[in-house]
Amino acid sequence: MKNYLKTGIILFAICAVCASLCAFVNSVTAPRIAANQAAANLEAAKAVSGGMTPGESVNVSLPEYPAIRAVAPLTKDNGDIGGYLLELGGSGYGGSLTVITAYYTDGSLIGAKLTNNSETAGLGKKAENDWYMDMFKGKGADVAIPTSKNDLAESEAAAISGATITFNGISSVIRQGSDYVKAQGAK
Amino acid sequence: MNTKELTKGIFKENPIFIIMLGMCPTLAVSTQVWNAIGMGAGVIFVLLGSNIFISLLKNIIPDSIRIPSYIVIIASFVTILEMVMHAFMVDLYNALGIYLSLIVVNCIILGRAEAFANKNSVLDSALDAIGMGVGFTLGLTLIAAIREIFGAGTITLINLGDINVVFEVPGLSESPIRVLALSAGALLVMGYLKAFFTWYTAKNEKKAKEAK
Repeated sequence: MKNYLKTGIILFAICAVCASLCAFVNSVTAPRIAANQAAANLEAAKAVSGGMTPGESVNVSLPEYPAIRAVAPLTKDNGDIGGYLLELGGSGYGGSLTVITAYYTDGSLIGAKLTNNSETAGLGKKAENDWYMDMFKGKGADVAIPTSKNDLAESEAAAISGATITFNGISSVIRQGSDYVKAQGAK
Repeated sequence: MNTKELTKGIFKENPIFIIMLGMCPTLAVSTQVWNAIGMGAGVIFVLLGSNIFISLLKNIIPDSIRIPSYIVIIASFVTILEMVMHAFMVDLYNALGIYLSLIVVNCIILGRAEAFANKNSVLDSALDAIGMGVGFTLGLTLIAAIREIFGAGTITLINLGDINVVFEVPGLSESPIRVLALSAGALLVMGYLKAFFTWYTAKNEKKAKEAK
C-alpha cells in the first residue's frame, strides 16, 4: 500500500512539474500566436477582397451551408455592398482547413486564400500559393466553380495531381460559398 | 568526455539507416530540405531535454512507472517546442503540421530514454542525444535532398516567410520525377539508401576481419 502511494506521488510530482512548465511557456507564446493568427487573417482578407472594404465579420452556422463559418459584407467606395467575404472551413488530406474567400454579389469568386491547414508540404500545401486559386477566380456566376479534375484545363489538372483530396476539400467549400452568396443576392 | 557517445549516432548507429527508428516522420516530412532541417532541430531539442531529465531522474522514478513518466516528460518538451515554433516560426510550424506533435511517439526519443538515458550519466546522455539527433537530422536531410532535387527540381534551404533561400536545378525543375515527391518516393529513396548503408557496413566489416 505504502509503495503504491509513493509511486503515485512521484508520478504526480513529475506531471505537476511538467504541466507548470508548459503553462509558463504557454503564457509567453499564446498572445503572440493569437496576434500572428489575427494578422494572417487580416492580410488574407485584404488580399482577396479586390479593393473593397470588409465590414464587420459575423460568425454563422448554417445547416444548408455547413462550410461557412463567418460572413462579412464588402463595401465599395460609394458605400454599396459589392460582395461578401466568407471564412470557410472544410477538410483536406491532413485534417481541417480554412479558406478565406471573397465573392461579388453574383457569386463569382474575387479571390481566395488557404490559411490554416495541415496539408502535406510540397503537395497539398501548394494550395497556399496564389496561382492555385487562379483556377477558381471569376467563376461561380455563369461558369460553375470546378469541383472535379474534369472541369479543369489540362495544365491545371496536372498541377493538382498528387493532391486531389486537398483540391476536393477546397473546391467544394468554395462552391458552397458561391451558392450561399448567390442565394443572398436572390433575396 | 566520451566522444564515442557523440559520434556513434552519426554513422555507426545512425537512427534512420542503421537502427531504423523514427520512420514515420522520416517518410512524411522529407519532401523539402528545409522541413527536414526544422524537424531535425525539433528532435534534437526534445531528445536533449528528455535525455537530460530522464538521466537526472533515473534514481527517483520507480521501475513500474518509468514508461508513463518518460512519456509525460517527452510530451512536455514537445508541447513547449510546438508552442514556441507556433509563436516564432509559423511557416515551419505549418509545414511540419501534425508530425511536430508526433515527435512524442517518435521511437528515437523513447528508445534513447529506455536504452541509454536511464542507465548512463547526465553528460553521456546529453552527448548521446546530440549525436543521435544530428544523425537523425543528417539522414532526414539526405532523403529530403534527394527527394526535393529529383522530385521537384528545387533545394529549399531556408523558408521563413520573409527570408527564402531556394535554388532551382535547371532542367529538373521543369520536368521533375514527380513520384519521388510523393509518399511512394519516400519509401523508394529510403530503400535504396538503406541498401547502400547495409552494403557499406558489410564491406567495412569484411575488411576489418581480413585485417585480423
